[in-house]
Amino acid sequence: MSNLYDNASQQPPRSGLLLLQGLIFLVFCLFAVRLWYLQIHRGEFYARKAKENQLRQESIFAPRGLIRDRNGDLLAVNEPAYALGLVREDCQDVDGTLRQVAQWTDGNFDDLKGLFVKNQKRVKSFEPLILVPDLSFDQVALIDANRLRWPGLAIQVRPRRQYRHGKLLGHVLGYVAEANEEEMERRPELALGDYVGKQGIELVLEDRMRGVKGLSQFEVDVTGRRLQERVLKHPRAGHEISLSIDLGLQELAMDWLDEEAGGVVVMDADTGQLWALATSPSYDPNAFTSGLTPAQWAELRDNPQHPMQNRVIQSVYPPGSVFKHVVAGAGLHYGMLDPKEVVHCPGFTQLGSHVFRCWRKGGHGNVNMERALIESCDVYFYRQGKKLTVDRMSEFAFASGFGHPTGIDLPHEKGGNIPTREWKRRRFGEGWQGGDNLNMSIGQGYTLVTPLQVARFFAAALNGGKLLKPLLLKDDKPVVQGQVPLNQEQLDLLYRALVRTVDDDRGTCRRLRTAGVVVGGKTGTAQVVRLTDALKALKDDDIPYRFRDHAWMAATAEKEGRRFAIVAMIEHGLHGSSGAGPVVKALIDYIFYGKITPKPEAQKARSRAARLLSHNATGGGRAN
Amino acid sequence: MPIDRRLILSINWPLLGLAVVLFLLGTVNLYSASGYRLEEGMSLAPYFLRQLVWGAMGLGGMILVMLFDYRHLKTIAWPLFWLTLILLAAVFFAGKTIYGARRWLDLGFMNFQPSELAKIAVLIIGARILAREREPLGFVRLAYVLGVGLLLAGPIIRQPDLGTGLSLVLILGGMILYHGVTPGVFKTALIAIPSMLPLAWLFLHDYQKRRIMTFLDPTTDPLGSGYHIIQSQIAIGSGGFWGKGFLQGTQSQLRFLPERHTDFAVAVFCEEWGFVGTMVLLTLFCLFLHQMVNIAKDARDLFGSYLTAGVFFYFFWQILINTGMVLGLMPVVGIPLPFISYGGSSTLVNFCLVGLVLNVSMRRFLFKQS
Repeated sequence: MSNLYDNASQQPPRSGLLLLQGLIFLVFCLFAVRLWYLQIHRGEFYARKAKENQLRQESIFAPRGLIRDRNGDLLAVNEPAYALGLVREDCQDVDGTLRQVAQWTDGNFDDLKGLFVKNQKRVKSFEPLILVPDLSFDQVALIDANRLRWPGLAIQVRPRRQYRHGKLLGHVLGYVAEANEEEMERRPELALGDYVGKQGIELVLEDRMRGVKGLSQFEVDVTGRRLQERVLKHPRAGHEISLSIDLGLQELAMDWLDEEAGGVVVMDADTGQLWALATSPSYDPNAFTSGLTPAQWAELRDNPQHPMQNRVIQSVYPPGSVFKHVVAGAGLHYGMLDPKEVVHCPGFTQLGSHVFRCWRKGGHGNVNMERALIESCDVYFYRQGKKLTVDRMSEFAFASGFGHPTGIDLPHEKGGNIPTREWKRRRFGEGWQGGDNLNMSIGQGYTLVTPLQVARFFAAALNGGKLLKPLLLKDDKPVVQGQVPLNQEQLDLLYRALVRTVDDDRGTCRRLRTAGVVVGGKTGTAQVVRLTDALKALKDDDIPYRFRDHAWMAATAEKEGRRFAIVAMIEHGLHGSSGAGPVVKALIDYIFYGKITPKPEAQKARSRAARLLSHNATGGGRAN
Repeated sequence: MPIDRRLILSINWPLLGLAVVLFLLGTVNLYSASGYRLEEGMSLAPYFLRQLVWGAMGLGGMILVMLFDYRHLKTIAWPLFWLTLILLAAVFFAGKTIYGARRWLDLGFMNFQPSELAKIAVLIIGARILAREREPLGFVRLAYVLGVGLLLAGPIIRQPDLGTGLSLVLILGGMILYHGVTPGVFKTALIAIPSMLPLAWLFLHDYQKRRIMTFLDPTTDPLGSGYHIIQSQIAIGSGGFWGKGFLQGTQSQLRFLPERHTDFAVAVFCEEWGFVGTMVLLTLFCLFLHQMVNIAKDARDLFGSYLTAGVFFYFFWQILINTGMVLGLMPVVGIPLPFISYGGSSTLVNFCLVGLVLNVSMRRFLFKQS
């Protein structure tokens, strides 16, 4: 050890030692202040941040209530659907992920990006933003297998509405679709992507059927993987609902309508329950659940047959001869018509210089009220309508449930139109003419009704004049909304006329005869008069979309205490008894005997051809 | 060489104790940081157990370092310097590339990082040169000392390993300040160093520039390097006054905190032990450094004093930079916190350097008493 001793006089630099101690002091102070700031001053802020990092909450979707028909057959159910969501917080490369999603789902990157940008403010960064609402099984498998490589993608399972019978009950059930901004504003419990009823029963009974969402809380790690899930609140399924509709009857009605524009109502005359509410053409509500494509929507919207229109409650038609019972009722009620009074029908009548024709060119000869109803004599009603005048006819029609909505539990119901002097002056700025009385007396002119109103009126003829609220739920109790102002004797007279229209050899509804069932009926053929000025003044919705004859068949049927009113209405071109009659006949056979009479194929082909023709033709013949 | 009984008695036990306590705290913290609370992912054992093994090896290395008289280092200072330079050159030509940086020599049984050796080399050569300087450094002498340091730091920065390269410069710079510079040098440096920063900017890699930008505003890159800063602050801040308790730190347990066993290990500690615990840890570190100041003051020769000052700066910069980064006071640079961060060779080196300082302290009386 040669160099063991260094110069002992060497002292460590004093300034250096001070420097070291100063540095220690500085660092201590710096860090202490910073720690105080982070952990104490802002401790709560960061604690909240940490919670958000770690704990997430997610809704558990509640299944909507099931819908059954009156016999318990399922109409609307829920099936699991797989939606693909993106959790922004977990996703490091949004564009890359969207591009991959587009590839998996044969989608378009720009569309996905647009959706992402639009919705990203509405969805919290740790909640899934739904990119694809409805994945196929293959897509689910493909995405699931690759998910680890794409952090942030989340497959969400939620119940999706499925309508077992598609088009059959589209208008009654309505459909559900994702809630829009306005609905979310109105109902704060709704979140982006929730399904709500948009039409039909689904809309009307939304609150009963939706159920209450549950809430689950789970911890996530940094990749968004779920750990330790805990249900905070169990979801509550929506209430189950049983419709008054009889699936078989509805099916039969739809088969007979066979895509022709028209509607069928079968109403229990004692309860008001609807056993069938068919409107045609219809739409498949399943298409709406996963969102219509623009092409699908354009097809529905631009279809000249207007499949979105519920013809039973939203379309208004001139009632034609079906209205003669109302006019007769008015005459009886005001004591202005003696049922025994005989009117001579030479095939026409004259008012001033204008000739009003009966549908039977040769005339009916001498007819009283009952015969006039049975044979549907126009001249009898021209004469009596002129005597009654609009005031009495309209007052009685209002009292019989026409001119205002029936109050059925479906949205957008129309009330039709019962004209009055005042109404005409307001609408057209001109007074009521004598000829208007004549038109009105045979259900033409300004009178517009819905098939449902007609059914309710004919049900009243069976049940002692009670105007019942049309009901769609099996458990609903009858609601009497009004009373047709006729005594039992007068009602019996009208009813007898109905039954004899079927039984009598000269009656217009002979083809409804059914062994063992007391059937009454009234045909109607409604001419849609081309009143250019008048039509212009009407609201668009009130204008029938083709100015052609409509075929009506209103019927009653009773057997062993079961009583029904049945109305079939087929738009334009088809003859009342031959077009609408067989539908009603088939329904009666089914109701009382369970017999299923499908529409003959030949007839289907004919109606298809007629439908094609009707797209081009205008106007048309007229027959009763 | 027989060990004098007085040597044992003269060991600075507080420094040794503080090092061991800090290491044990670090290991306990690693147990929490590497333990993934739920079954998935990595198991608890590897980091925590391996760290214990490294610690044991470190203690062994420390004792070895304490056995010989530190003054022999003075004679091997230059040979060590040249050897390090050769190894660094070897890395440059034959090194193993990991993560895009050429830093390792493959020794067959292990990967050796010559830049670690360079840290020790710069301490010893710095102490040797500076101990002989009689006066505060003027420009010429300063250029000489810095030039020696840059010979080592240059190749390391080229590897690229800016962090280690700069740490050599910082250690040497600290030692120079400890020694003292002329007022002229001091004033010039005060002006020159800040004005050179824009120039340095040009030499930075893009990712390094980005880190500095992100440091200035972490929200500009919340998923990139800003994520580290944000998550680290959430972890620390949410610890509050008392902390969430051992193994209860949600941010680290659920792995929101990145690199929580290495560079960000102290954030786990802050989260679980809160302000109180962290202040205790900080105090321990300060006492640890303070003991070194005492040793530097009492060293029997200037070489030992400078050596101790060098070790002081070795630890000081790491504590400053790592904790500063974790607390969001500095840009993110990959520098571990001594004894707290996981790391085999750094644990080994840390203990050996503590041993070196202990070596200086235990031999302070030999001359006076003989």
